[in-house]
Amino acid sequence: MGLGKYIARRAIYMVPLIIGISIVAFLVMYAAGDPIQLATAGNPSITEAQRNALREYYGLNDPIPMQYVRWLDHFVHADFGKSLYGGRPVNEIISTLFWETIKLQLVSILLAFLISLPAGIYSALKQRSATDYTISSIAIFGISVPVFWLGIVLILVFSFQLGWLPSAGAHGAPYLWPVFGIRNETLDELVHLVLPATVLTLAGLAYNVRLLRAGMLDVLRQDYIMAARASGISERKILYKYALKNAITPLITLLGISIGYMIAGAPITETVFSWPGLGRAYVAATLRLDFPLIMGITMIITIMILVANLITDMAYAWIDPRISIE
Amino acid sequence: MNILDVQNLKTHFFTEAGVVKALEDISFTVEKGCTVGLVGESGSGKSVTAQSVLRIVPKPGKIIGGKILFDGEDLLAKKEDDMRKFRGKKISLIFQDPTSSLNPLFAIGDQLADIVIQHDRVKKDQALEQVIKTLKVARLPDPEQSLGQYPHQFSGGMKQRICIARALLLNPQLLFADEPTTNLDVTIQAQIITLLKDLQRDLGMTLVMITHDMGIVAEMCKCVVVLYAGHVMESGDIETIFEKPHPYTEALLKAVPRLDQTRKLTSIPGNIPNLIDPPSGCVFHPRCQYAINICMEKVPPLEDVGGSHFITCHRWRELQGGR
Ligand SMILES: Nc1ncnc2c1ncn2[C@@H]1O[C@H](COP(=O)(O)OP(=O)(O)OP(=O)(O)O)[C@@H](O)[C@H]1O
Ligand code: SF4
Ligand SMILES: [Mg+2]
Repeated sequence: MGLGKYIARRAIYMVPLIIGISIVAFLVMYAAGDPIQLATAGNPSITEAQRNALREYYGLNDPIPMQYVRWLDHFVHADFGKSLYGGRPVNEIISTLFWETIKLQLVSILLAFLISLPAGIYSALKQRSATDYTISSIAIFGISVPVFWLGIVLILVFSFQLGWLPSAGAHGAPYLWPVFGIRNETLDELVHLVLPATVLTLAGLAYNVRLLRAGMLDVLRQDYIMAARASGISERKILYKYALKNAITPLITLLGISIGYMIAGAPITETVFSWPGLGRAYVAATLRLDFPLIMGITMIITIMILVANLITDMAYAWIDPRISIE
Repeated sequence: MNILDVQNLKTHFFTEAGVVKALEDISFTVEKGCTVGLVGESGSGKSVTAQSVLRIVPKPGKIIGGKILFDGEDLLAKKEDDMRKFRGKKISLIFQDPTSSLNPLFAIGDQLADIVIQHDRVKKDQALEQVIKTLKVARLPDPEQSLGQYPHQFSGGMKQRICIARALLLNPQLLFADEPTTNLDVTIQAQIITLLKDLQRDLGMTLVMITHDMGIVAEMCKCVVVLYAGHVMESGDIETIFEKPHPYTEALLKAVPRLDQTRKLTSIPGNIPNLIDPPSGCVFHPRCQYAINICMEKVPPLEDVGGSHFITCHRWRELQGGR
């Protein structure tokens, strides 16, 4: 089957999934409460008539199926509507926050992947050595320590005690400029990335290293590795050509999942570091029952997961000749 | 002339459960140009013997003693990098399971050409020509087309031909075939045996045939080495051995072929001993019908009984004379 045709077919299968998920999200959201009531709860002078006028304005008085169809109609025209708070278009909100989240997540995912290669290979080769135990301990630490705890500890030490790194935001730490002697946008962004990226990398690294170590140990026991050795192939080639390609396939799945869940997985870190990303916005929107924004971010998450799945499947077929994209 | 002379080879596996004494005292010789059978029940140490000669015993295994003379040179004294140059070039090994011994993620041509490139430092297309030539020798249909194909695209028999070609790529002087037919259909088994017999004859190669199957030994081999629990029970040419066998060989020969077990054609009453804590004296004594007191106390030596026949048994004189 041609690649184009395959992608087209997979995309068609995604349509009912996306619609199904949007319906469920819509229903759950409406069951959660009345956003107008919530927004105006702190205002004692507001009358019920005024509240109703607001509901009318946002179309919240219409029957839910009708509201859904209206939402769907906008959605297929790539329009997520307007936020209930301030009326900013959801598309605009998402597009400014999207790249901040992607930046932080991609840096962390790729760092975790790249660092895990030498660490995983080394600890498999030197199984039960001091280095292996050290790497495993760091990995277990990374898996078991909650992201928010580590985040707060790092902020306390590196921001509040030492004052080296910013504790919040993704841009603009004017107090740091004199340290570098210049005002440099890229440097500024990097400085902001350090703490949140460290926390996320450590969390992801753990899974990557353990997966690669286990994969390597398993592959190195296989007959085809012994057969390569029996044929006089050098250890380096056995390791980096024949063993690694076999051991790395589970990591490709993990990479695909991590990329798919980039936004869904971001809220805690983004909240701890006040990162201006989609994850934090998602939490805020949910707490405020900002329906259009909740739906918008939910759909972005869904589509990213589905697309990442597709790309993972394609990567698998490319690596493993036994798997075909059928 | 002997191409291989193994003396008192000892290979142990240092596992968490204890030291597995896979090879305790292995001595045998292989004459140049001969086909020698290496037989014994499952777990007797046949594969580990081949792995030891190539020095590819996997962790936690270690060769801890003995000498392996190949063409007069002691392989165990070689540096690892010099030893690597022998593997696949002078000594080759065909594995029991062709499916698991081919890397699933690499095309056949790529896997085999790498071996030629590694040893002869030639360009890839030159290496591929050598691969095609050898695949023809191993009677694989359509060698040219096979180069770009992956292992899963071939049948078991075809995969074993590819593995045979892999072992023959650089015209080795000594070839170990580790139960090369055990995992194949019966009809294919005969074809592979014929192929190996023809190759041995045409290329003048020395072949060590590892097998459970006394029928294959009778059909292919001039000499045979019988292993049991990491010890050589006896060695010699097959006429002598079939006529006046060691008690263990006798049991092997007598054991009824069992139809319900395709892998292990023979079975002797009792079990192969635990190699972490092997029996005292003669390792075979718990199962030997001729065992007497001394068999439990003293390890019998491997003795030359004349006519290139070697036996490990306290009672060989009386038993050989009395039958
Ligand atoms: N990697 C290993 N780790 C621990 N023990 C091992 C290992 N490989 C082999 N052994 C042990 O060494 C002994 C001899 O094994 P070997 O594979 O040589 O037997 P074999 O004669 O080839 O048997 P089979 O006919 O089943 O292939 C066995 O007791 C086995 O358990
Ligand atoms: S030494 Fe004893 S136990 Fe061993 S084979 Fe001979 S007779 Fe049997
Ligand atoms: Mg074996």
